[in-house]
Amino acid sequence: MSSEISTKGLGQPVSVGSISKELKKLWEGNEASTNASLMNFLIYTEEADQLVANSEMIQALTKEHACRALLIGMDRGAPESSVEAWITAHCHLAHGKKSICSEQVSFLLKGKSLGRLRNTVFANLNSDLPLVFWWQNELTDLFEERLFRVLDRLIFDSTTWADPKASFAKITEAREQAGTKMVTQDLAWTRSYHYRLAIAGLFDDPVAQKGFSKIETVTLKAHPDQRTSALLLLAWVIEQSGWELIEKNEDRFSLKSKDGQAIEAVIEWDEEGAPLSLLSLAGPNCEVKVMRQKGNTHLCHALCTDGHCIDFSGPADSDEPAELVASQLSRGGKNSLFLAVLPQFLELL
Amino acid sequence: MPRGLRFASSGIEGGVSNPFREDLVSRNRPEACTVVIFGATGDLTHRKLIPALYNLAVDGELPVGVKIVGFARRDWTDEFFREGLEKLNQKVSRTGHDPETWENIAANVSYHQSEFQDEDGYASLAKRLNEIDEERGGKGNRLFYIASAPEFFDDILINLKKAGLSQEREGCWSRVIVEKPFGTTLATAQHLNGVVNGTFEEKDTYRIDHYLGKETAQNIMVLRFANAIFEPMWNKEHIDHVQITCAEHLGMEGGRGGYYDKAGALRDMVQNHLLQLLSLVAMEPPTDLTADGVRDEKVKVIRSLRQWDTPELVEQNVVRAQYTSGNIDGQEVPGYREEDRVNPESETEAYVAVRCMIDTWRWSGVPFYVRVGKRLPKKATEISIHFKATPSVLFNATPGGVPDGNVLVIRIQPDEGISLRMNSKLPGTTLRMEAVKMDFHYATSFGKSSPEAYERLLLDAMAGDATLFARRDEVEEAWKFIDHIEKAWHESDKKPPMAEFPAGSWGPREADELLSEEGRTWRRL
Ligand SMILES: NC(=O)c1ccc[n+]([C@@H]2O[C@H](COP(=O)([O-])OP(=O)(O)OC[C@H]3O[C@@H](n4cnc5c(N)ncnc54)[C@H](OP(=O)(O)O)[C@@H]3O)[C@@H](O)[C@H]2O)c1
Repeated sequence: MSSEISTKGLGQPVSVGSISKELKKLWEGNEASTNASLMNFLIYTEEADQLVANSEMIQALTKEHACRALLIGMDRGAPESSVEAWITAHCHLAHGKKSICSEQVSFLLKGKSLGRLRNTVFANLNSDLPLVFWWQNELTDLFEERLFRVLDRLIFDSTTWADPKASFAKITEAREQAGTKMVTQDLAWTRSYHYRLAIAGLFDDPVAQKGFSKIETVTLKAHPDQRTSALLLLAWVIEQSGWELIEKNEDRFSLKSKDGQAIEAVIEWDEEGAPLSLLSLAGPNCEVKVMRQKGNTHLCHALCTDGHCIDFSGPADSDEPAELVASQLSRGGKNSLFLAVLPQFLELL
Repeated sequence: MPRGLRFASSGIEGGVSNPFREDLVSRNRPEACTVVIFGATGDLTHRKLIPALYNLAVDGELPVGVKIVGFARRDWTDEFFREGLEKLNQKVSRTGHDPETWENIAANVSYHQSEFQDEDGYASLAKRLNEIDEERGGKGNRLFYIASAPEFFDDILINLKKAGLSQEREGCWSRVIVEKPFGTTLATAQHLNGVVNGTFEEKDTYRIDHYLGKETAQNIMVLRFANAIFEPMWNKEHIDHVQITCAEHLGMEGGRGGYYDKAGALRDMVQNHLLQLLSLVAMEPPTDLTADGVRDEKVKVIRSLRQWDTPELVEQNVVRAQYTSGNIDGQEVPGYREEDRVNPESETEAYVAVRCMIDTWRWSGVPFYVRVGKRLPKKATEISIHFKATPSVLFNATPGGVPDGNVLVIRIQPDEGISLRMNSKLPGTTLRMEAVKMDFHYATSFGKSSPEAYERLLLDAMAGDATLFARRDEVEEAWKFIDHIEKAWHESDKKPPMAEFPAGSWGPREADELLSEEGRTWRRL
């Protein structure tokens, strides 16, 4: 892979030993711009040709989240060990006035990897600011204790994992070792944020509340690539409703409510649809559903009773991972609901 | 009960509430309601209220099923009303204007034509609201927003009561939001409170002070109570004095003079906004963050203000002034008495500076200087906390001496943020000190724009959270303080003089003297 890795747009090449000095030069004499930083934001990938795309994501993300951005690409298959670095700044006009800039340092590490990721991270952090670490794709052997102990927020996307069970086991272990400080954020969970808000909003209606105890079926439609997103959303419905999983048969789940009502849940896969295209909770004469058409930026919310539906639209979650990350960072929080839902999700998995 | 069903029952069959709400957002839940706006053809509705509701919808914060009914005198149709609202929303909305989202809002907007004084108009309003509830097939919460001139508050409230609209019904609430000005004297405020509380319970009454909806005003409590470094120093031992400045560079453009010349700076700004800011800065830590927990502490501050209750005390502690002609942004501007709709012999102040003393253990002897004025050099609202200087023994002999004490500045608007001035050594072989500034700007650190004050406040009223609204006793205590000053100015035999300053300068010399006689100066903004 090494020879054809593109580094176009990563900025000015610098030697690793002089990064701080070069960054300082970048700002010296630049009165017109403000260098701002609220956090260290790191994207790590073992698909090193992602570096340029990741730099573009940072450009978008820094519009709302000023940070010291670190991009690390690791090409573990390269025969020779080497390291290259680049610095640049992403600037945006804040509220149409001041130019606010976030600095970015990119690294391409090739060859033998042991200890090098950890050291690159530790050596380039802005002190005292939180470290948000976005680990793209599989959690490899480099995801290790000394690294995750320093993380404040770990972002990953479980839909990209070949073996979610094994990877979630690593996450659970990391959480146990890192203590409660580390917030874990699965983009598969973030992806359903507005679905969850919409369902909660619909159940504010007394009619829906009355129908709640009579729900018989739950139907979820999702893109086949979004298996963990769909299961997390279903796990949330089950957990919040206080239902119990009785039996699981591939994508069909038999559930029971506390007062003994049987509920059937099913996930249908739709290659042509949005990542999550439908969540419906239905009983006799009452159905609450949230839908999204592929590419649409809105969710359609509907409450149907006796065949008559009231519907309206609300915002949908973005399909872009960088926008999902940005919106979650704006909301902040410890993601404790995700952790509460996790055991139920692991049962469904 | 299943784990999710922990919310208190809201009177729904079987005690079930909404299990899906739990843990989703960390704030009180706004509930669906019909918002009735009195004065719906007016400026406030078009510029602030509807854009606020629109932006809440964009952010997905507006509860499902909110309906809006505009109430005013003009003979408009629903369609015409909506078109006018849309035009303004396109101009002023914080997040831009998306036709699809607008359509969703507009479909829930209607217009109800009536005079405020016309009882029949309220009977037909009640009928209309019942129909809306029936269409919805469920809850009929109602939020009445009185966005009219204050002379109509009584009529509107009394008529709402007569039409039976102010009562809670079958687990559904009725709340009222009242705009400023809330009274013009203690007596009128008490009268108005009497009418409001004769119509709505205090817990359902939301007196708006949009300064409290501003992000930085809310941040005062976080700054003070979530940072261990400030609170131990937040007292007379360490703080020399506090300044609160609200400077406006505008004058009486746009016909503003008509209202302003009747009110004046003290009533228009100090009674409400500035005393609210002062109470947030000076209050004791509340026992909890409930509306009454916070407001109990705020009202104690206002109650502890030393009263300037003789003309002599007013003259010593308060400076009032009018601007004479001068220059703003390179343009010549007229003096206050030459302004449009201002009485040429007006005795109304366009500037006021007040020394406030809070007689509590914490603040004994610490002056809070408050100033507000029109036609000052720039637009800015800021609070500055001036810490005492360190004992000078150590650096006395250094060239230039010791610079002033630390200053913590909370910028409310524009360019919201916080800065801290401290002393630092100048580089070089001799010991010289210079003041340097650590600065935090909201806009620099958080790219996302803050919600407008009205967004937050409308949502809070829908959620039944009155923390950011003024309570009856706060309003009345503030009027008590203001009334003494107004009486000395307008009713006493020894009226303290009216000072002058040229438009475009930082206020009259007399205001400078208010501080200089105690060895202090106003902060230069
Ligand atoms: N504008 C702001 O930014 C702002 C900011 C803070 C506080 N406020 C306060 O908010 C309140 C309203 O301000 P505004 O600027 O929106 O006032 P405005 O533009 O003068 O609007 C007044 C409204 O009241 C209606 N109205 C007047 N007399 C009426 C009557 N007898 N019967 C029925 N409707 C009547 C008018 O309806 P018609 O047009 O149909 O006659 C109009 O809708 C005031 O108390 C003001 O102090 C305003």
